[in-house]
Amino acid sequence: MANTNVKEYNPQVSNAKSRLTWLWSEYSVIIAFIIIFIASSIMNPRFLDINNQLNILMQVSIIGIVALGMTVVMLSGGIDLSVGSVLALVGVMTVLALNASGSILIGIFTALVVGSFAGFLNGLMVAKGRIASFIATLGMMAAARSIALYIAEGGSVSGEVKGFTAIANNDLWIFDYPVIIFFAMTALVYILMHKTRFGRYVYALGSNEKAAMLSAIRVDRIKIAVYSLAGLLVSVAAIIETSRLNSISSSSSGVQYELDAIAAVIIGGTRMTGGRGKIIGTLFGVLILGILNNMMNLMNVSPYLQGFVKGLIIIIAVVFQKRE
Amino acid sequence: MTQNLYITMENVKKSFNGVPVLKNVNLQIEKGEIHALLGENGAGKSTLMNILGGVHQPDSGSIYINEKEVKMTNPRISQEQGISFIHQELNMVSDLKVYENMYLGSELRNKVGFLKVEEMCRQTHEILARLGVDIDPKEYVRNLATSYKQLIEISKALLHKSTVIIMDEPTTSLAEHEVNRLFELMKNLKKSGISIIYISHKLKEIKEVCDRYTVLRDGEMIKSGNVEQEDLDTITKLMVGKSISQNRFVHEHSFGPVMLEVNNLTSLGLFKNIHFKVKKGEIVGFTGLAGDGRTELFESLFGYRKKYTGEIKINDQLIKIDHPRKAVEAGIGLVPKDRKENAIIKDLSVIHNMSLSSIGNFEKSGFIQDNIERDKFQYYKELLNIKVHNPSITIDKLSGGNQQKVIIAKWLEVGADILIFDNPTQGIDVGAKQEIYQQIVALAEQGKSVIILSSEAPEVMRICHTINVMYQGEITARFKGEEATEEEIMHYATGSKREAAKIG
Repeated sequence: MANTNVKEYNPQVSNAKSRLTWLWSEYSVIIAFIIIFIASSIMNPRFLDINNQLNILMQVSIIGIVALGMTVVMLSGGIDLSVGSVLALVGVMTVLALNASGSILIGIFTALVVGSFAGFLNGLMVAKGRIASFIATLGMMAAARSIALYIAEGGSVSGEVKGFTAIANNDLWIFDYPVIIFFAMTALVYILMHKTRFGRYVYALGSNEKAAMLSAIRVDRIKIAVYSLAGLLVSVAAIIETSRLNSISSSSSGVQYELDAIAAVIIGGTRMTGGRGKIIGTLFGVLILGILNNMMNLMNVSPYLQGFVKGLIIIIAVVFQKRE
Repeated sequence: MTQNLYITMENVKKSFNGVPVLKNVNLQIEKGEIHALLGENGAGKSTLMNILGGVHQPDSGSIYINEKEVKMTNPRISQEQGISFIHQELNMVSDLKVYENMYLGSELRNKVGFLKVEEMCRQTHEILARLGVDIDPKEYVRNLATSYKQLIEISKALLHKSTVIIMDEPTTSLAEHEVNRLFELMKNLKKSGISIIYISHKLKEIKEVCDRYTVLRDGEMIKSGNVEQEDLDTITKLMVGKSISQNRFVHEHSFGPVMLEVNNLTSLGLFKNIHFKVKKGEIVGFTGLAGDGRTELFESLFGYRKKYTGEIKINDQLIKIDHPRKAVEAGIGLVPKDRKENAIIKDLSVIHNMSLSSIGNFEKSGFIQDNIERDKFQYYKELLNIKVHNPSITIDKLSGGNQQKVIIAKWLEVGADILIFDNPTQGIDVGAKQEIYQQIVALAEQGKSVIILSSEAPEVMRICHTINVMYQGEITARFKGEEATEEEIMHYATGSKREAAKIG
């Protein structure tokens, strides 16, 4: 994209400058990540501690997995506000299935079915019902939370099956399972988006839906698949969340996860209107948010002010991306 | 001649990113003339007009209005000097009413600050009446036809007491009778002392309505003179730098069996009782005025629109098409009109646009293979003469002609037997147009069935074996390509003549 801005001309005068612009527009998140990482290590020596680093990864893994699904939805030109509520609902259903059957496998299976079904419904509303994704998933957000609250009678439910907590609390070498799952999911979604036709179609549909349809793409099916995939990833996140403390709260689990996930996607450079963005960008967006949270804790910033800082970072990120 | 001089642009130079776009251009506009500004895409017409309109600043050179030098540092100053720019894409807010659009940004207010609605409506009505149109000032703009929107833009210019109106290809979206009305209007404006700068590719229109012309090529002023003293060929030659033949393209070759047969196709309010056949190797044209239903007809045939009745047979087999995917499986490809909105995916690379409809050809065990895509693109790049250095750049960086070639490559890769081209040369310059025609003819010679939709009768006359004329959703006449004349086509396209017998 560097020197071809002006149709076929080849302006050599501004080559160096345009290379720099290109570097920035392609890799601005990574550059921002490196700057923030270096600044953090200078500001607080405890930041670089390996345990602290692993702790950051552990803390971002749940939001990270949710944000992967959110990236795909936003690339398709939509948005999914229901992720937090669906996470709570999946958690509650998982614990119930787990306790009723005594089998971890059935618990996991239930989680995956509930999450992807909620996503499927979102997709159906958006694709076939032609409801704006913001509205459809806002409805799902309210409905899923309400069902979770009703089933759990407003409280928490706890698992009674031994071994379920291992999912989130065991580790392989130095990495906790959730971190490994997050990176594995990132790799899978990356391959899906960049090496398969599904990914190609999502980009096409997010960029120009009518042209995608006129290119003989089954736009409706792709949309339904996109929201189902987001739901599936939410269930993976829900399993980890539930397993971590062996319980899930119908009222407070997953609250505001949609905002954190959207923030990570936006910081990662994905365009709100779809068609443009990268999975790798979201990965670094998630890491940037994680480092910021971590630094604010290390530096004893009041928890009440942490939202302010996060908000500021999101807005700065978007302002810089507009520049290109 | 010179005592009438109104605007002079002298030695204007401008470059973008080190690329010179205008090299020493001079332009002289007289009072009360219609001046044609001609040139291929990329010749610098828009840049020159944007400089006059105050959007861009020239690197050097000066602008004189009534012999006084004026610095157009922003669009507002240009407007105050009485220059109005009517862009190709009309600047109308469709959710506002006519009078609200007219006064947008310069609303009349009373002392308290409330809008003087009745006064604005009265004045709007007055100006529109002067142009000979009767539109309710309180009508929403979204309910108006494109030609009326254009009239409102012109009215807006009159409202601002403009003395110079720049029109950038105003007739592209107009039907023939609307064009005539616009020309009448332009002639009236001219009489009242207003100068018009008219940008267009359509040379016949220039001949009809313009007094003088200036030709730009590659940022240089080639020639300026009186329209009357030149013939069209000379002007074309000046624009392109070489002469372009206007002869019929089609080589007669024998056709194969019927590929596509359509019977009784009807969609309420769009088209009715459509019958036609296309043979293997045949090029069939559909022409008519804007709103004749041909685009909708073929969008239905392609499965983009679903609400239609009637039968479609391909290779003598009845099929039901309710999604473009089904059309593709049946061997139909569609190169749609309005490339930007309907055909290109601007965020995807040139290669990915090419492979979008036939990804199966590039997959191995479910994964897309970049190298197969790249090799295949290289093949089409040579076949269709696509000019691009690096096919990994996004497609919107290419010129219109090259974008269109990529879209054609996309459908060739699908292997469609029946190719529908809707307005294939829209916004493409003369040289690239020629290449696209050659490609289409070559496809037919290879045995593809080709359907061309175009509002320009000369275009279908040049390349089609058979020409269908549509009027209000019906086929009103069918000609052999070599027998059709433009006048005859016009009669049927405007509904002044119908010939049911001829279409059987």
